[in-house]
Amino acid sequence: MVDPELQTVPRDRLAAACRTLAGRTGSRLASVVVTDERSFSDAFTIHYVFSLPKDHRYACVAADLPGKDPCFASLTPFVPGASLFEREAREFFGLVPLGHPDPRPLLLHELWPQGTHPLRRDFKAPALPAASPSAAYAFQRVGGEGVFEIPVGPVHAGIIEPGHFRFSVAGEPIINLELRLGWVHKGIEKHAEGRNLPEALRLAERVSGDASFSHGLAFCQAAERIAGAQVPPRARWLRAVFGELERLYNHLGDIAGIATDVGFPFGAAQMLLLRERVLQRNGALCGHRLLRGVLRPGGVVMDLSGPAAAELKAFLARLLADFTEVERLYLETDSLMDRVEGTGAVSKRVAEDLGAVGPAARASGVDEDLRRDQPYAAYAELGVQAQVREEGDVAARMLVKAAEFRESVSLISRALDLMPEGPCSAELGAPPSGSALGWAESPRGEVLHWLALDAQGRVSRLKVKSPSFSNWPLLNWAVQGNIVPDFPLINKSFNLSYSGNDR
Amino acid sequence: MNGCAMTAACWFQPLLLLLLAPLIQGCARKLKACLQNRTGASVLQPYWDLLKNLRKEEVLSETASPVMRAAPYAAFSATFLACFLVPVLFTASPLGFAGDMIALVYLLALPRFFMALAGLDAGSAFGGMGSSREMMISSAAEPALVMVLFSAAVRAGSTGASETAAALAAGGPSVLGPGLALGFIALFLVALAECGRLPVDNPATHLELTMVHEAMILEHSGRSLALLELASSLKLTLFLTLLANLFIPWGMAGGTEPGAAALSAVAFLLKLGALVVTLSVVETSTAKLRLFRVPDFLGIAFVLALLGLLSEGILRLGL
Repeated sequence: MVDPELQTVPRDRLAAACRTLAGRTGSRLASVVVTDERSFSDAFTIHYVFSLPKDHRYACVAADLPGKDPCFASLTPFVPGASLFEREAREFFGLVPLGHPDPRPLLLHELWPQGTHPLRRDFKAPALPAASPSAAYAFQRVGGEGVFEIPVGPVHAGIIEPGHFRFSVAGEPIINLELRLGWVHKGIEKHAEGRNLPEALRLAERVSGDASFSHGLAFCQAAERIAGAQVPPRARWLRAVFGELERLYNHLGDIAGIATDVGFPFGAAQMLLLRERVLQRNGALCGHRLLRGVLRPGGVVMDLSGPAAAELKAFLARLLADFTEVERLYLETDSLMDRVEGTGAVSKRVAEDLGAVGPAARASGVDEDLRRDQPYAAYAELGVQAQVREEGDVAARMLVKAAEFRESVSLISRALDLMPEGPCSAELGAPPSGSALGWAESPRGEVLHWLALDAQGRVSRLKVKSPSFSNWPLLNWAVQGNIVPDFPLINKSFNLSYSGNDR
Repeated sequence: MNGCAMTAACWFQPLLLLLLAPLIQGCARKLKACLQNRTGASVLQPYWDLLKNLRKEEVLSETASPVMRAAPYAAFSATFLACFLVPVLFTASPLGFAGDMIALVYLLALPRFFMALAGLDAGSAFGGMGSSREMMISSAAEPALVMVLFSAAVRAGSTGASETAAALAAGGPSVLGPGLALGFIALFLVALAECGRLPVDNPATHLELTMVHEAMILEHSGRSLALLELASSLKLTLFLTLLANLFIPWGMAGGTEPGAAALSAVAFLLKLGALVVTLSVVETSTAKLRLFRVPDFLGIAFVLALLGLLSEGILRLGL
């Protein structure tokens, strides 16, 4: 273990130690990582990873749970954000969180045979579908006169990812919303086991298509931390440039989505045009519109020549000028602003309790940005301003993204000016066995990769925490008191990734 | 000019509307696409869609009753029948003697009634949502529509659509008044709501939860869908025709002399074209309203129509 600070405690003191960490100012449960160590020590190890932005570090509490009786006291009653992580640990490893309020499965649906825990090392793929499907998923029921359930999805009328939404409504106002995800579970963490670093990097880039670079970067940084390797300075700066290019096209797409969902396709078309220009620029720069294959453990595979950098700067200046014009169109279209203001508000308290990350959290007043608080790549030298608003509604999320777009353009321009010369990659050599955490602030927020390597330099455990996994529960709170036809708009203002959540 | 030619020409009018309806829809879509920097499909695409759907197999929900099967026929025939009550190229309409503009309002309510029933009948959650929203919107749209038609009728002194159009066409400059402008705007707003256009409903959305009209017809397929699509494009054409002939009353032919008829056809197509352009521009420049703001929107239409009626009353009847 190189990073983060690790504190190993006995099983019965796990919850207490976690609560101490959770009680610190600004502390947020970032991930829960389980590793199957039964071949060495006959135990599972469970790690609670906390983000401590005020101290500029992650902290980790770990405990061994005996393989025969892998139960532990659930943290969920005290830290609501732990709920999904602990359900995941129960489902994929067969651990038993005692006192967890929700006994239902999370990502593995009824057709999985009961008692199969895919991330255990001795897991053998069962025949699917199961001979006897487990009991139907029990949605929360809301009773009362005039209360109806509306099931939506997982297959939708538009071309979007699959997710099931169960509304309980009285007329148009939403009383309760439940999500059921897991329809695009691909088993990426399982697939990564036993692979070497380049192969696993290709997998990490495919967790969520539009955050390919961020996921790859988090993975590479974890690998580099295990190897104790120094990334050449130029590579760090190039990583910041590509990371911000990813943010540019994502935020443009997100803002365009808002216009589409309020029925303002004119504004959407203008914004999507800008997004397409960024994507084409990405494709011209590195051969892939979504920036896949740019990274390698130890650096980046390609350099930016002087002329290319100058051209990129000129492109960004034009892009920013056009963006300013389209942004004004949005802000001056009253019918659009009327739809977004006050819709889907999330309070700061809810965002903090559920461990929200990224622009969604910042729009609710949570002042956190990994690029500033726990800088990686060249962000320490660049100096990032976190864009924070207080309202927490759809408009706030849109405006935070617009502000971040401007910040990204300025970051890239500064990086292109200040970037030092030198090689853009270093050889990692044969990495030692060990584990480490890698993180990146993707356009949606914190991407966290926990990587463990064995003595042969192969992946023994890769735990991916996407920002969508942290933010999906926010949606249930954001829709409270809103009406059904506003749901797509609220959902789009988060624009979470189903694939990143389901992995 | 003999009565026989007049009658034949009159009966030709509803057919013209039926033939034009998909083209109007295609033109509106094409224009909107152009305004949004898209290429868009050909203006003839709605015709091909209709032919495609007519050939396709029909799939019905297991819970559907005969209502679901009957609704498209009822909706289409009522809308088509309404076309027989309105003057198009000539001030006379084929069934003008049988029903006035009040009958027209009810003939337009009938399809909605059947489609709302069918939406509930199919047993899908979206159909019910669409039906309930459509009813909410129409309960605000119908009074406004009646009020608009009355404001036109007051000017002509008759609730018959033909008489009203004739009086307006013959009236020359004297028909100009605040009532005309107010009524035009009011009817345009009502048309946006009645035909499921932005900012009331988004005809191009793929978001099931925001749909109104589309949600009601979500479970229909094949021939039923073709009929419902044709009915809704016919309804749009009908509203544009009302706008053109009751509130832009120039160029209509009183008789069937070839010269006057040709002039009338040109004027009608020009007016329709201008209205389609207006519709596309309005739809492009505004976002959809929050659902619960729609009654306010239609309230504006109602108030404008009422003001139009009052101003007509003051000017003509000296009230």
